[in-house]
Parts: sequence; C-alpha cells; structure tokens
Amino acid sequence: MFYRLSGTYHTTYESDRKLWKIPADRWQVIAVLVLAVAAPFLVSPLYLGSYVLPWVIWSAAALSLTLLMGMAGQLHFGFAAVMAIGAYSSIHLVRFGVPFEIALILSGLIAAGIGTVFGAAALRVKGLYLVMATLAMQYLVDWVVVNVPAISGGAHATLRTPAVSFLFVDVSSLASRYWLALGWAVLLTLFFLNVKRTSFGRALVAIRDKDFAAAVIGVDPFRTKMMAFFTSSFMGGVTGAILAYCYYRAVTPEQFGFDVSIQLVAMVLVGGLGSVIGSYLGAGFVLLAPIFLTNFIAGMAGAGWIPVSQNFLSHLPLIIYGAMIIGFLLFEPLGLAKIYDNIRKYFLVWPFRHAKS
Amino acid sequence: MNRIRKTALSAVLAAGASFGLAAPMQAEEIKFGLLQDFTAVYTFVTGEYNQGQRDYLTLINEEGGVEGHTFTAIVRDTGNQPQRGIEAYNRAKEEGAILFDFLSTPVSAAILDQANADQRVVITPAHGRGDASDGTVFPYIFPAMATYWAQAANLIDHIKQHDGGLDGKKIAIVHIDSPFGREPLPILDELAGQEGFEYRAFPYASPGNEQSAAWSEVRRYRPDHVLIWGAGGGQAVSVRTAIQNGIAPEQIYSVIWLAETDAANVGPQMTGVKRFEASASGTDHPIIQRIQEKVIEPGKGAGDAANVGTSYYNLGVATMAISVEAARLALEDGGPLTGETLKAGFERVADYDAEGLMPAVTFSEQDHQGGGAGRVSQWDGSAWVPVSDWHAAFPEIVRAEIEESAAHYGSGN
Repeated sequence: MFYRLSGTYHTTYESDRKLWKIPADRWQVIAVLVLAVAAPFLVSPLYLGSYVLPWVIWSAAALSLTLLMGMAGQLHFGFAAVMAIGAYSSIHLVRFGVPFEIALILSGLIAAGIGTVFGAAALRVKGLYLVMATLAMQYLVDWVVVNVPAISGGAHATLRTPAVSFLFVDVSSLASRYWLALGWAVLLTLFFLNVKRTSFGRALVAIRDKDFAAAVIGVDPFRTKMMAFFTSSFMGGVTGAILAYCYYRAVTPEQFGFDVSIQLVAMVLVGGLGSVIGSYLGAGFVLLAPIFLTNFIAGMAGAGWIPVSQNFLSHLPLIIYGAMIIGFLLFEPLGLAKIYDNIRKYFLVWPFRHAKS
Repeated sequence: MNRIRKTALSAVLAAGASFGLAAPMQAEEIKFGLLQDFTAVYTFVTGEYNQGQRDYLTLINEEGGVEGHTFTAIVRDTGNQPQRGIEAYNRAKEEGAILFDFLSTPVSAAILDQANADQRVVITPAHGRGDASDGTVFPYIFPAMATYWAQAANLIDHIKQHDGGLDGKKIAIVHIDSPFGREPLPILDELAGQEGFEYRAFPYASPGNEQSAAWSEVRRYRPDHVLIWGAGGGQAVSVRTAIQNGIAPEQIYSVIWLAETDAANVGPQMTGVKRFEASASGTDHPIIQRIQEKVIEPGKGAGDAANVGTSYYNLGVATMAISVEAARLALEDGGPLTGETLKAGFERVADYDAEGLMPAVTFSEQDHQGGGAGRVSQWDGSAWVPVSDWHAAFPEIVRAEIEESAAHYGSGN
C-alpha cells in the first residue's frame, strides 16, 4: 500500500541495478535529501549548529568506520586518532599555503598513510588483539599531538582553523559550513552504497567472513586488508578535517581522545554494523540522546517533578542512556538499522503480514 | 446576579494581582549559564564548586537581589565533551544567559571565539587559557582569578620569602603530562634565571593513578622543594608517593587543586603540605555566615550542607561574588544588562574582595585576570591555615607571559 510494489518489474539490467529499486524508497531518499539541503532555512541556528551539523559530521565518521568494522570486519578502537591526524594536517597544510580543497585531500592521504601503517597489525592479529593494536595508535597519536607543540599549537594546545573558501565559496557562515559537511556526508554515502557492489566491496566482505577462505577463492588478504585500512582512514581523515573546519573551528587534543573513539565504535554498533542508515541512526543516537535526555530531565526538574540533587540529576540521563543502549541491543542485536529494516518490511506488504525476505 | 458579581470580583482581583505582579516583573531575571562537567573529568571539584555558586546566587536573591533584579542559574551537565558544551551554550544563550562558566578547559576552548563574537561573558576561573587575561585579545573572557602562571609565581615567591630563599636551590615540578601540567614551565624558566635556582620537570601519565616511576627519579634528583601540578585523584597519589620517597610534607607545594577530600584520602601524613589558594576556606567569613543563615538553615541550599566552607565551595562563592559585583556595577550605569554592559561592569570592578573571602581584584580593559593575587596555605591536620598574605607575585613576569601567549593566539593559535 505504501510502497506499491505491484507493477514494479525490473526488465533491464540498469533498472535492476539501481541503488533504490522501489520508487517509494527513491522518493523517501529524495525527500530526506531535500530536507537536509534546506535545513538552514527550516531549523533555527540553535538546532542547525548544535544538532544537525554535528550529526551530519559524526554520521560521516561512523560511515568511514563502518566500512572497516562492518564490511571488512577489522575492529578499530583508535579511529578518533585517525580523525585527529586529518584535522591537524589539514590546518597545518592550509597555514602552509596549500589551497583548502587540496589540503582536504592531502590530509586524508596523510591519515590514510599513518592509519595503514598501524593497520598492518591486522595482517597478523585479529579480534581483541587488533583492538589492542589500534588502541596503541590512539595513545601514540594523542601523545605525539600533546607533546609536540608545533603540532598542537603551543602552550594551550589550541589550534584555530584559518579562514578558508571551498571552490570559491567562503566557508565561514553556519549555513555554508553545514552544506560543506552535508556534501561530504552525501559523497561518502554514495561511495559506501556503491562500494558494496564492486569487486573491492565483495572482497572486503569475504575477508570479514573468513580470511583464509577468501584467500582460497583468490582474494589477496594482504592487499584487501591494507586497502580497507587505507580507504577507511582516508575517509576518516577528511571527516576529521571537516569536523575541525565546519564545526569546532578550534582544535584541541581532547576533541579526539580515547572516549571519542569509543563513541564512534558505539555509533557503529548501535546503528548496525556495515549499514548506511545505521551509521546515521547510530551517530544520531550516541551524539544526541545524552543531550536530549539532559535537557528533558533538567526540564522536569525545573518543573519540580523530580526534586533531586544536581549530582544525581546529571547522572540520571547517563543511567537512562545506558539502559537504552542495552535495551536496544537486547531488543535487536543487529542495531537500529535492523529496527528500521523491520519496520520497512512490515509496511512493504502492509496490510498483509509476511514479506518475502 | 450572584454569578455576575463573582465574575466581576474575580476579574478585578485578577487585574489587581497582575498589576501587583507587574511592578517587580520589571526588574529582570539575570541568567548565568553554569554549564559544567558533573560526570566526567572535573567531578572532583564541580559538585562543591557549583553548589557554592548557586548558594551565593540564592543568597543575593534572598537579600533582595541587585536593585530588585534576581539571578537564575541555568545548570547543565556537559560531561566535559565539547559538542555537548556547544549545544548547552547555544541553548542557554537563547534562553538569555549573559554569563557562562564551563569549568572545563576543552569546552571553554571550543566556545572562546564564539562567545567573543556573540558578546557573552565567559569566566574561566582556575581553568581555561591563562592568556585570556589579556582583555585586548579576549574582550569577553575573564579568567577572573590567578592564572596557573600567577599560581606558580606565587608558590615560588613563597619559597623565596618564607622557606629559605631560592639561590642555589633545586626545585622539582612533578606534573601531569598534559598542556595544563606543562603550563607553569615557562614561568619557572624565567624565574630560575632571575632568582638563581635550578628546576627539573617530572611528568607522569594522565590520569595519574600511578606515579612511582616519576617519583623515584625525583628522589634521585634530591630537590629542596617539590611543586605538584595535577588535579583530581592524581593529587592525593602525588602527595602519598612523595612521602613514600622520603620527601617531607613541608617540602611539597601544590597548585590550587588540593582540598579537604585529598587530605582525607592521604590521611594524617598530609599535615604540613602547602598549596596555592585563590579564596579562603572555612565557614568563618561574613558571606559564608550569611549563606549558612539565610540559605542553608531555611533549607534552600543547592546540596549537602556539609560541603559549605570547603575550599571548592568557597571558590565557587568567590566566582559568583565577582560576577554579581560586576552585574551590580553594570546596572548602576543604567540601561539593560547585556553581555556588553556586563563586560563593562567587570572592567569597573576595583578592589573588590568579597568581604575578605578572596584577594582584592581589580579588572581593566587590559587585565582580565584581576591582578593575579593569591596566597599559600598549609594543611594542619584538620584545616587549611594561611601562611602568607594575599599578594600578587612577580606580576610583571606573569603579565609578559600573558601578553606573549595572547599575541600568539591573536596571530592564529
């Protein structure tokens, strides 16, 4: 009824290969995209600057990480460090006189280079041991940033982003910063959706499922794992630069600390491994749920509904947030993306009960 | 008929009530955004500090406000996360807050430029950038109390004046390995040359639960005095490990972050340790007495009454005393209270000492630190006893450092 499947036949290879084969899905995506592009006119600067903009950027970060964790199956607990490399190198490159557009790409390449070096550990170790190796990357990068004033920006370790323009458009107003971030997130989304259908994407999935089985069928584990780390780190590095230029505009080491890495992993897991919509939902949940809960609880306390100490008041949102994460994962271990998928499948054949797959 | 009379009566009453309310409503509600970290890194201080801030605002409201204007604190947890701080700042700004205190260096760093652009006052007492003391580069940021540079200078000055001079002495500084921990080093460099002592820095890894490697090196260095520069749980570990390594408590000098809780954690061997303080501790002060009487006893306190008078509680009271004084001066000029007039009010604060709770501070368009005075106090086993008078040490060296760093910031960093 909502999706109107009847009469939709794919009679050519082109139509069968479309990203969104069902017209209703296509319209939904177009509607969301139009809303996203028009967001600066639709929502107040408060919501654009504090909710939508960080959500879009962290979704891009989650997409970068889920390529590695979800598709290639390589755990990475130091992804904030990858983003830090991108952020710091982009700022230093622009200060050095490199145009912003080229600096973005170069910062991605630098992050990819360093990320791949640490990723080389993945050739020898898997699972929890790989977590340890990537954690080492987090702490090493943190240490270098904090201890080299030339990188961190002097005694107070704050580096302000210089004024830049992107393709001759000045990136300083909130709306222009948002559109740049949105453009990057859309680009990553399209890349991610398409890479799943390439030989590279299938090789990643083969490596994830069993790397020696993949080797038997002719997928080179060395090359594929390195490529996975390289691609994901490139995306993460550029996202870090976008985060610095479009959102924070003053970079400090704490913005890329260990807890940020854990948040990114949480986004990917809560959203659903290897899923595009899961990255968006997971980033939205991990980033915004604590903020909404804090404001909601503070509002209730302000209305006198829960007369408790400030200390308890501050921890209550965290308690609820933790319970929500456990609840979601118990209810649907495959993440928010699977919940979306269940709802979609229900409506796909509604008012009938059973979907095909 | 009866019903009409009733309706008329209630209409008159309602009109009267709203009229009666209208008069005090003209006096505005002044909103301060206390958007702090209650759940992550700064938990060792935030609870008591924030309680002191809110109790002081309640006291002012109980005493009739400032020319009838009352104060409201918007309190939110930011979890020390910049993105949550930005959200809380934008929201409180929309709700009309004109002064902010984040008590978190990462959050303050993320908001500095925005607050300067929005013309909202941000106070950064005992956290944030020391060079924000240069009001020409940071027009809306007020460290408002002794910066870490001024604190280091004050401790060194205390050794010079009271603990046997500096010439030829060896001083060790044991610090957390972070920008905050390294902050006093340039001042020590400068003073070492001028006063003829030598110093060495011994960093330990954050968060400082384990420091024995650093301290065994300190023991080999055989220092005459030791400065400890950390915060939170690491401070008690520093004191305990120092004493285990044969350093006498009297040789230990701490940054502002050493309080009653740390003394309780270390135990009786803490007696003799000295620290810098920017506000007096204890309840024996006119303002704290009035808070006891008008806020705590009627049950309007913001938290556990046992916290009243602790070091961090009084620190919070002092920050709000300065802010309310600035608001009072701004209102004296007439006109509505905005971020802009509040900044002007701050810059008119002169020789204000909160009835003896803190050193007299004087702000100007150039100096947002307020002079950088403080004193040294010593733990006597049950309380912090001051062992020097309120004064600013080596102010010209501290100021030179502030201006150099601020110029660096002005050029991009």
